[in-house]
Amino acid sequence: MEEEVEKAVFAYLRKKGFRLTEIALQEEQTRLSSDASSLSRSESDAAKYYDGYGKLRSWAYNSLDSYRHELLRVLYPVFIHCFMDLVAQGHMQEARTFFQTFREDHEMMHLRDLQTLEGILSPSHLEEMELARLWRQNKVKIRLCQYSYELLVQYLHKTQSLAMLGVINEHINFEVYPGQPASMSDDSEAVSLIGTSQDLAREINQKELHWGLLEDSVEERMEKTLSESDKTEVDGNKEADTEDNNKKKTDGNKHSTAVNNKKKKDKVVGATGKTIRSESSMVSVPPRVKPELTLPQFPPEVEQSILEDLRNRVQLNSLALPSVSFYTFLNTHNGLNCSTISHDGSLVAGGFSDSSVKIWDMAKIGQPGRASNPQGENGSMQGMHSLASDEAKRPYSLLQGHSGPVYSVSFSPFADFLLSSSSDNTIRLWSTRLNANLVSYKGHNFPVWDAQFSPMGHYFATASHDRTARLWSVERIQPLRVMAGHLSDVDCVQWHPNCNYIATGSSDKTVRLWDVQTGNCARLFIGHRSMVLSLAISPDGRFMASGDEDGTIMLWDLSTGRSVSPIIGHSSCVWTLAFSCEGTLLASGSADCMVKLWDITSSMKALKTDDSKSGPASRLRLLKALPTKSTPVYTLRFSRRNLLFAAGALSAGS
Amino acid sequence: MSIVPKETIEVIAQSIGIPNLSPDVALALAPDVEYRLREITQEAIKCMRHSKRTVLTADDVDSALNLRNIEPIYGFASSDPLKFKRAIGHKDLFYLDDREVDFKEVIDAPLPKAPLDTAVVTHWLAIEGVQPAIPENPPIEAIVAPPDGKKMDHGKDDSLPIDLKLPIKHVLSRELQMYFDKIGELILGRADTPLFKDALLSLAKDSGLHPLVPYFSYFIADEVSRNLNNLPILFALMRVVKSLLSNPHIHIEPYLHQMMPSIITCLVAKRVGHQISDNHWAIRDFASKIVASICRRYGHVYHNLQSRLTKTLIHAFLDPSKALTQHYGAIQGLSALGPSVVRLLILPNLETYMQLLDPEMQLDKQKNELKRKEAWRVYGSLLLAGGSCLYDRLRLFPGLLSPPDILPWKTNKKIALTNLPNNKRKASSRLTAHQPPTKKLAVDPTGTNSQFPSTDGPATSSSSGSNPNHHHSHNSSNNNSSSTGNITNANANINNVSGSGAHGQRVAVSNVLRQAWKEDLDAGHLLSSLHGLFGEGIFSFIQPAEMHCFI
Repeated sequence: MEEEVEKAVFAYLRKKGFRLTEIALQEEQTRLSSDASSLSRSESDAAKYYDGYGKLRSWAYNSLDSYRHELLRVLYPVFIHCFMDLVAQGHMQEARTFFQTFREDHEMMHLRDLQTLEGILSPSHLEEMELARLWRQNKVKIRLCQYSYELLVQYLHKTQSLAMLGVINEHINFEVYPGQPASMSDDSEAVSLIGTSQDLAREINQKELHWGLLEDSVEERMEKTLSESDKTEVDGNKEADTEDNNKKKTDGNKHSTAVNNKKKKDKVVGATGKTIRSESSMVSVPPRVKPELTLPQFPPEVEQSILEDLRNRVQLNSLALPSVSFYTFLNTHNGLNCSTISHDGSLVAGGFSDSSVKIWDMAKIGQPGRASNPQGENGSMQGMHSLASDEAKRPYSLLQGHSGPVYSVSFSPFADFLLSSSSDNTIRLWSTRLNANLVSYKGHNFPVWDAQFSPMGHYFATASHDRTARLWSVERIQPLRVMAGHLSDVDCVQWHPNCNYIATGSSDKTVRLWDVQTGNCARLFIGHRSMVLSLAISPDGRFMASGDEDGTIMLWDLSTGRSVSPIIGHSSCVWTLAFSCEGTLLASGSADCMVKLWDITSSMKALKTDDSKSGPASRLRLLKALPTKSTPVYTLRFSRRNLLFAAGALSAGS
Repeated sequence: MSIVPKETIEVIAQSIGIPNLSPDVALALAPDVEYRLREITQEAIKCMRHSKRTVLTADDVDSALNLRNIEPIYGFASSDPLKFKRAIGHKDLFYLDDREVDFKEVIDAPLPKAPLDTAVVTHWLAIEGVQPAIPENPPIEAIVAPPDGKKMDHGKDDSLPIDLKLPIKHVLSRELQMYFDKIGELILGRADTPLFKDALLSLAKDSGLHPLVPYFSYFIADEVSRNLNNLPILFALMRVVKSLLSNPHIHIEPYLHQMMPSIITCLVAKRVGHQISDNHWAIRDFASKIVASICRRYGHVYHNLQSRLTKTLIHAFLDPSKALTQHYGAIQGLSALGPSVVRLLILPNLETYMQLLDPEMQLDKQKNELKRKEAWRVYGSLLLAGGSCLYDRLRLFPGLLSPPDILPWKTNKKIALTNLPNNKRKASSRLTAHQPPTKKLAVDPTGTNSQFPSTDGPATSSSSGSNPNHHHSHNSSNNNSSSTGNITNANANINNVSGSGAHGQRVAVSNVLRQAWKEDLDAGHLLSSLHGLFGEGIFSFIQPAEMHCFI
């Protein structure tokens, strides 16, 4: 009698198309019945998961072509949860077999996660491991089109595979949308853990972002200066005066002259005869924003040297590639952890695993002054000479103070200070003139992976194993802001050119952008498949590039939070990225001993035309691959004159 | 279940003084141990990445343990990545080769050299996007400069674009130099050792020999001209050439022009080795094969390669003032180039040449035995060339290889026999008047028969190519009362040990064959080629069949 009623109810539900209700009902039934026979259940459970998943898998792989990729999305969460269910119920052996049998399906997309999850061997591990907890506590949301969803429901109903039904009901939320299935490329976004990443990202990325450049920056003033000097033919001596005048009247005519300035600049560049620049390569003038931090003023002589550099800048584009000067570290005995190059290329610093920091002055080594060696540097060299007379034998200045491997070094904009971060949880500030330690900043509780001076100096940002990034000012020993939110180590940090934001890359495979004023997360970028190792933000502040452990380079649009073009750029870790000064080229350096130059302009243009479609159709175009002689590339840096400096340690192995 | 077996747990427990760990505990611990191991590894990998390395070291594991507030494991630190050895008999068991060091040894040992201090050198990786070819940059092409490892030369760092314009010095690595010297030594001294065979194999197989090719080609040219009368060395050189040619990793084309003269020298030189004692014919044969293989492989790249070669050879062939040995080489070379070459270049000249050659072969006219033998050799090679050409032609018309009935065979045999008296070798070339009838007779059977399985064609006609040769050598040895017998005819003996009576007939038959070729010439000149081919085809074809009948 009861059965008949049940049948009638099912028939009714089916007739009306209440599929979810039907599934729910079935599940309830199974739960009731399984409670009754819980003893027999536990034994056959493992097999049920195995069979059920196997069937679901073969069904999904044999489904209609146009819906297959959507249905395949369901497999991964089901796989993970089947495995965890088995572990939770104590079927260790079965869980292992299950995992090994089906893992290769997902290896391509989720290798890192699989490697982590593989270690789960007891229910207690499920509690302990963060990733597992994340999976257990949150539902997965999958976007499916109407028909794919119907197919899936039909299948589940037909096969009566209760184990699968249970898993899907319990852990997956379907977001059904009408119409045709979406293209394959959206795969990464279609599956997401609720409440963790994607939703959050969407929410965060709706905030307003002022990605424009700082108003009243040196460069802007330079443009004005040039326009002025163009009109009046003022010679070099008087330029400083005109600058000062300009400073006062900037605000008034800023916007009206913006377009005008560009033309003037072009003209001047053409006159200096450096390179021919195509008009089209110039991106439209970025908007100007006010600084949120009180920024230091540059001393006049420094400003003048910058102006000098800007005037002599080589214009780079896809046709005019930069010259690359490579600094090779020899005899490092595998001890070099990081390196950095000052803006003018005259100073090179390396951080070593024996806790030392070494600075080489390239001018002193007998290198005749490079094209970009400004006069400002000579003064500091003199001072160093007299002080370091006792160390005359050594070609470098040795800075000792840390008590653990040094993981990053960073020069201040004018190379008068050096920051170093170490595994002893401290960051130290060194003076390159005095060759002495000035301050030790304590605040992080774990090794500090990265430290970066702001583009204007005075402030710096750090990234640490304690999952926070911190903002500091050189004159305070406590951090000004703590940016918490990453789910794993913060591995790298980078300043936005306007100093209002810092970007951080993390082992949780995301990149975040933080507002320095509020300390809130302003953008969340999801898409990398492994640990993010390097970041760079374009000089106009609109784009950000990030490189990861697998050699993938992604380009992001900061304003929309979308990925512009992911590429497999290298075959190994991307240690460093750098934009050229006009933002036309991106240089990447990797552990595969290559420096690669990428064309940004073309992909940006494609982005502009495609803006409405929002598809990541364009790809970065590789302009040039420059192999080194078994020297992994640790650091890349464009000088203000667009000379590219690179550094790396010769690896003795090959 | 866990990758850590419970036995491992038990062993470790014993080693730290827990003698009787219950199996349940071990079982429960094993998964957790694996989990902790993975956790530590994950942290260690982070440390590795931040040290900008791709190889995990003991230091990284120590740092990872530090991160977890665990005492690091001391005693394993090493600046270089550890080298693991595979345990014999186990697929995935590795161990560290950790030698026990005696204290005294360490104390007594002289102080090790202080490690070199870290230094920074600069060079231009690229200038306006182009990589300059300086030692600091990796070589662009396959030719590898000697790995000098350290770029200590500061002076070179200043090498600005001006350096680029200088020609790049071609540096041969020490290993390659040694290799080259060794090969040279083998060629000149010990070409008969098994080591030389290995060397040839290495020349034919190894990649990375490309930098040596110019040296080899020069060496070969040099040695060939110097050792013209040292046959073993010449042979060794030719074998080296052959190996180099067959090496797939070498682009030998640019050096062919240097190699070819040496090979051709070996082919058509007047004197190669000691004329009497050495088997210089063999090296000519060998050289002809090399020449042919070169033409086949590079003929399409160098359009004038084959034409120039044939020109050289045909000059040698047609010049009556040249020695017979040279003629022989030329014929061998030409015939190795293929039947069509033979047809176009040798056959038209065959008649005139035979007139020249005939007196040389006669006992009464050529008293010098050596000369006579040479003449027979030349004759043999001509026969071979003609035969293969004929065979090739015949193959084009498989339908024509029709089996004659028994009766026509017999008649034909009779014809051959009846022709025999007329066809004395002396007069054969002059008796053109007699040939039209023979030909007619020959043509007749073709019309009548048509069911010979075409597969038999090759076998029979190939025997037609080779057998007569042997007959002639036989014949010559018969003719010469003072037969030296150094012309090998073992094969012929095996095939044709059938009495001396038949012998004479066979000689005659081969004469017929020869006649047939001459007819081919005539036919080529006079009749339309197809018709001519019929005639000649039947002639050569019937003849072995007949011989078959004999035996």
